Amino acid sequence: MNSAQIIIQIIVALVAVACAIPGTFLVLRKMSLISDAISHSILLGIVIGFFIVEDTASPLLIVLAALAGIVTVILVEYIQKTGLVKEDTAIGLVFPALFSIGVILISKNANDVHLDIDSVMVGDLSLAPFDILQIGCIEGVTDSCINLGPKAIWVIGTILVITLILLFMFFKELKVSTFDAGLAAALGFSPLIMHYGLMTVSSITIVGAFDAVGPILVVALMIAPAATAYLFTKDLKKMLLLSCFFGVFAAISGYWLAHILDASISGSMTTVLAILFLLVYEPIITSILVSLTVGTSTIFYQYYELLVANETGIEHMLLGEKIQTVFAEFVFLDYVYILIIATVLTAFLIYILPKRGVIYGYYKVRQQKTEIMLLVFLLHIRNHSEESERHVKHLNEHINWQRLRSKSIVELAQKNNMITIDSSIISLTKKGEEFTEKAIDYIITNKDTEIEEMKDDFFLFRG
Amino acid sequence: MGTAILGAICGMLGSFAVLRKQSLLGDAISHAALPGIAIAFLITGVKDSNLLLLGALISGLIGTFWIRGITQKTHLKSDTALGLTLSLFFGFGMLLLTFIQKQPNASQAGLDTYLFGQAATLLEKDVWLIAIVAGIALLIVFVFWKEFKILLFDPEYTKTLGFNTRFIDILITTFIVITIVLGLQTVGVILMSAMLLAPAAAARQWTNSLGIMVLLAAIFGAFSGVVGTGISTIEGNLSTGPVIVLVAASIVLFSFIFSPNRGLLFREIRFRKNRNNIKMQKTLAFMYGIAKTHENISHPHAIKILNGFQGFSKKSLQELVDLNYVKISGQQWSMTQEGFNTAANLYDQQITNLHE
Repeated sequence: MNSAQIIIQIIVALVAVACAIPGTFLVLRKMSLISDAISHSILLGIVIGFFIVEDTASPLLIVLAALAGIVTVILVEYIQKTGLVKEDTAIGLVFPALFSIGVILISKNANDVHLDIDSVMVGDLSLAPFDILQIGCIEGVTDSCINLGPKAIWVIGTILVITLILLFMFFKELKVSTFDAGLAAALGFSPLIMHYGLMTVSSITIVGAFDAVGPILVVALMIAPAATAYLFTKDLKKMLLLSCFFGVFAAISGYWLAHILDASISGSMTTVLAILFLLVYEPIITSILVSLTVGTSTIFYQYYELLVANETGIEHMLLGEKIQTVFAEFVFLDYVYILIIATVLTAFLIYILPKRGVIYGYYKVRQQKTEIMLLVFLLHIRNHSEESERHVKHLNEHINWQRLRSKSIVELAQKNNMITIDSSIISLTKKGEEFTEKAIDYIITNKDTEIEEMKDDFFLFRG
Repeated sequence: MGTAILGAICGMLGSFAVLRKQSLLGDAISHAALPGIAIAFLITGVKDSNLLLLGALISGLIGTFWIRGITQKTHLKSDTALGLTLSLFFGFGMLLLTFIQKQPNASQAGLDTYLFGQAATLLEKDVWLIAIVAGIALLIVFVFWKEFKILLFDPEYTKTLGFNTRFIDILITTFIVITIVLGLQTVGVILMSAMLLAPAAAARQWTNSLGIMVLLAAIFGAFSGVVGTGISTIEGNLSTGPVIVLVAASIVLFSFIFSPNRGLLFREIRFRKNRNNIKMQKTLAFMYGIAKTHENISHPHAIKILNGFQGFSKKSLQELVDLNYVKISGQQWSMTQEGFNTAANLYDQQITNLHE
């Protein structure tokens, strides 16, 4: 790993974090697609800025681009407010129009300069480390500059710091206005300021990340980590942290994937993000697929290296031929290896994926079963005042449980202070009675949210 | 010619997308089609447009079902699902495209026309393909018109009537995907959504009837296709996609402003008219209040006393005179019998309105 590689990785990681934070709020506020719109229409701002200053490096470009993003948001809001079309249609109308103007402006006027659409669309990171910010330069004197490192780090770093400061300052406000706009307004936070503040931050972030990863992949970096995190948790803080983590993970591993495949960094970052999302969304199938791919490509790569080293001319073949040649080298044992690698990896992936994985699911079902049994048991005790019905031994025959199971249930209830056992006669404690009352209430009214809270209130130990 | 048919079919099917609040589906699918194109090229190694379109179609469909699955199975909202599909598929497509570019294969150049579209690359057989698909789509829309319509406005009712809503849903979505994929070549990935949306959004402003809306949208789409291609050919050096989109966008803008029922201009005019009307009625009511206290209703009063009253203006007084409710002689005004009756009824009307 040389220093350029490290710098690129730092940049992508910073971009990922800077995108993930506003992205989380956008996802929660159901405005994900605004980021798509902004990222397209800032092209117009960049193009206009370019015509004014004729310099791709000018900070004016960034300012104008961010402005274009905000103009998009305002336009969308305005169109929506007229009530002529729905919000999504408004978004879908505004950004292609602005984007078209940008593209036309480029192709009409900028043919002779190096501002071509492809580079704007895809973004290029590999040159970022060599674009160095220098200050204190004295005209004509070499080596008089103070080298501050790559410019991209400074740009995205500043944005990230500002975002973080704003996040910490206004965390409470953001939280309230995201989840309950009405309450926020009643408490005196202007929802409008919150909205436009968030939009401004998003635009600036998108503009900052634009250079590095291109418009559409900015959208991926904003939405995908947040969406993946949202599947994991419903706690805002955890969600923010997780989405930052996913972003950074995807950024770094995406970089290495790009390195191996010799393809665009941004493209492979998104691919990693896609795999991450799929792992959470459809854990079993994806785990198997990913593991198989990893297994196959490991073996594949070994043979490929071998063939290249033997100078069979494989480098100049078409991709299809390459694949055929390499697969022809496979022997039976290789497939066994692939299967073994895949199985181990699958098992590992399924195991570490919480909440959705099979193992977790089995655990959850067992836990719920125990809780229901406990409830039945408590109800039974409550309904019977006569001692014969409340005898420990009697339970086995009456509720028809096996001995082991009834013993564990009784123990659980005892641990949670719901019953007391006095010479093999079970009686409910006050807490147990309260719990049973509430449980009956729940069964009658059947409101789903209540029982979870109730369980949290009463259980110290779970089944 | 190709763009005209394309515009028409886009407008037609776009109307359904807009009314189903799936406007951005087009955006998502057109992006999702990119990896399909890339994979088709990777596998076959030739740039046969039909094969590439097939790849695009398959990955577009996968994208659609992905969106559906995410919204149904998880608590993620549809906007997130759309954004996810769009960006993740496109990113993967980009990865593949850059990967292809590094391959030692000369025929890869030109794959990126799919990003922005170039109508000039349309061959005669492509136009035929578009025409055939458009014909089938038209036929399907005619045959299933009733089902589409009812599904659009009341899906639950449709279900209770025993229609297979899933089937109709998939049918319509599939056709939208096919159209998008066909359009990729002409207007490109990024602008395809506008192609689908803009004519429909414009048509929506002019009518409340689905049939007329679909027809209008088709006309608008065809129009922007023809004009856009025309401009881009004359000017040369312009991608077709952006020009078409801009033409369509101007149609939308025009419709927003000038449509007779919903347009902003006429709404403003109506607003002003109503306000003036209310001003006039207020003046009349005030006069009525004064005239009531006199035995002779046409007893003249000085115009000056009206000045203290808010909402009075020379214009509204003049209007009252024109309506023959009030007579003016010099600096004095007096109420006519007709004006008095109207004002009395006006009062009643307001009270009954209040009570309702």
